[in-house]
Amino acid sequence: MELLDNLLMGLSTALQLHNLLFCLIGVVIGTAIGVLPGIGPIPAVALLLPFTFGLSPPSAMIMLAGIFYGAQYGGSTTAILVNVPGETSSVVTCLDGHEMAKQGKAGTALAIAAIASFFAGTVATLVIAVLSLPLAALALKFTAVEYFSLLVLGLIAAVVLAHGSVAKSLAMVLLGILLGLVGIDVSSGAPRMTFGVAEISDGLDFVPVAMGMFGLAEIIANLERPAMTRVVSQSIRSLIPSRADLRAAFPAMLRGTLLGSVLGVLPGGGAALPPFSSYALEKKLARDPSRFGKGAIEGVAGPEAANNAGAQTSFIPLLTLGIPANALMALMIGALMMQGIQPGPQIMREQPELVWGVIASMWVGNLMLLVINLPLIGLWVSMLKIPYRLLFPAIVLFCCIGTFGIANNLFNVWLMLGCALVGYFFIKVGVEPAPLLFGLVLGPQLEENFRRAMLLADGDLSVFLRRPISATLLAIVAMLFLLMVFPTIRRSRQDALAE
Amino acid sequence: MNVRRTDWQDLLFGLFLITVAGIALVATRNLSGGTAADMGPGYMPRAIAIALLAFGLWFGIRGISRPFLGIAPVLARPLLAITASVAVFALTASRLGLALSSFAAILIASLATREARPVETVLFALALSAAAVLLFIKVLALPVPIWPR
Repeated sequence: MELLDNLLMGLSTALQLHNLLFCLIGVVIGTAIGVLPGIGPIPAVALLLPFTFGLSPPSAMIMLAGIFYGAQYGGSTTAILVNVPGETSSVVTCLDGHEMAKQGKAGTALAIAAIASFFAGTVATLVIAVLSLPLAALALKFTAVEYFSLLVLGLIAAVVLAHGSVAKSLAMVLLGILLGLVGIDVSSGAPRMTFGVAEISDGLDFVPVAMGMFGLAEIIANLERPAMTRVVSQSIRSLIPSRADLRAAFPAMLRGTLLGSVLGVLPGGGAALPPFSSYALEKKLARDPSRFGKGAIEGVAGPEAANNAGAQTSFIPLLTLGIPANALMALMIGALMMQGIQPGPQIMREQPELVWGVIASMWVGNLMLLVINLPLIGLWVSMLKIPYRLLFPAIVLFCCIGTFGIANNLFNVWLMLGCALVGYFFIKVGVEPAPLLFGLVLGPQLEENFRRAMLLADGDLSVFLRRPISATLLAIVAMLFLLMVFPTIRRSRQDALAE
Repeated sequence: MNVRRTDWQDLLFGLFLITVAGIALVATRNLSGGTAADMGPGYMPRAIAIALLAFGLWFGIRGISRPFLGIAPVLARPLLAITASVAVFALTASRLGLALSSFAAILIASLATREARPVETVLFALALSAAAVLLFIKVLALPVPIWPR
């Protein structure tokens, strides 16, 4: 009953009073971020990173995780009431959720979304707990050779499964790795590409990079678009769904949870893939597909469940192997490193309290979200009335103070500004910045493991193919590349990602 | 009929990659590369810079040969206002203190949109910089002065 022991140990960490408090702060901020369109969870997490330095590692991770899955909850509220996705992940919820709201069933839609999310969150927590053990056991066999192959797989899979052009994403990963190499070389002590700047001799901080590219660049681009006027007209009558509604929603919820749990684990699957796939599945399975887009309750329950399950299971690769499944998880790795914890296969053995505490806190956090979201829905709706013209200067200021706060030097603020301009350029030329973040965070480990593996194998590259685990991982990489070459599969990928 | 060519998005991204690769190659020219079995500090940066160079050339050539694809026009107002706001904060925070610096940053940032209303903006900037001082200096003990030294 190792599983039970582990979960109990996690619960005892998660239920400590201060951890409960940080979990609550996390999910409240997350919900707020989710409700407000125009701020994603990535800049929010980056912004809050400096505040977590003083906390113990479990508290810090519990709070940051809460922001992430809290944002998934909040996003659906905006989608249903205003027909604007609060987050990319809730685009699908707009379709049927807003239609239900127009028919006067806003309360039912909100309640179903929250219940589906809670159900999925609970199941996904169990999935994480069950899957973590065998993965961690596998991870014990890893040497530098296997770890290098695993990092390659993580980076490539993230590129192949994410949005946009694969070639551009690959170039961005390389660019990120190059930026990750800036600073003093650990084994020789030689400064590399520092241009004599003392502040970057320890490497580029990833927080200013993330805040510049995801936060500020997005703001500049948002301001170029004509202002949207958002109207929240629907009044919410009853929050309690009828028995018939629940019966219709439950199978969709179950399927969505399963689908989301599987897709969430895949690197790059992250936010958008699970809800889209679930919506497509529900439409295919429905007896009368024409109801979809006109307020079908399955169209809310399935994607919402998939969304939350995926958000949570995307922690599996991070917690067991130290590989991020999406850009946000890359930030989490950065947060761990700032706490002095080296993410990697050894993390479960060395930091069981942290890993299981975070897992257990997700269940606690989901329970909190149910309470925060349903009775307090009015509060979140009123937040939607804050105009963007007040919101964005506040974000700019907090980005400045936040980056300053990481190392108490103003160089990071300049770095953030530079990254904002580069990020704006990336938006203009249609390139996704997320792969760069992956490369930046994983680059140093990639180099270190490659060097160590080459040293052990005396410069013989074939070592990566002679070790069975490493060979399997690289075979999957090769398969992913082959899949990209076949046009039919490429087309179906585009269909799946098309909005 | 003159068919317009050049995918500017690809071309500019390609040129950007070539520039970065060039800078990296120049910056690491004095680092020893070592051998595959015993890599020096220059091995990985150089390998990656060369790969980036290849990507850059490929995007650049593809961009020239592809049909026309423009770039959405750049609006000067948001770009300049946000840049100026962050720059002013970075220049003044340690000398003028967080209170004045935050106030100035918010005022400049809100110039990014035509929608800004003067009175509302000033009041909001006052409230927000007060909140920032309270939160960051009083609660989180960030080592910056509140007022000019």
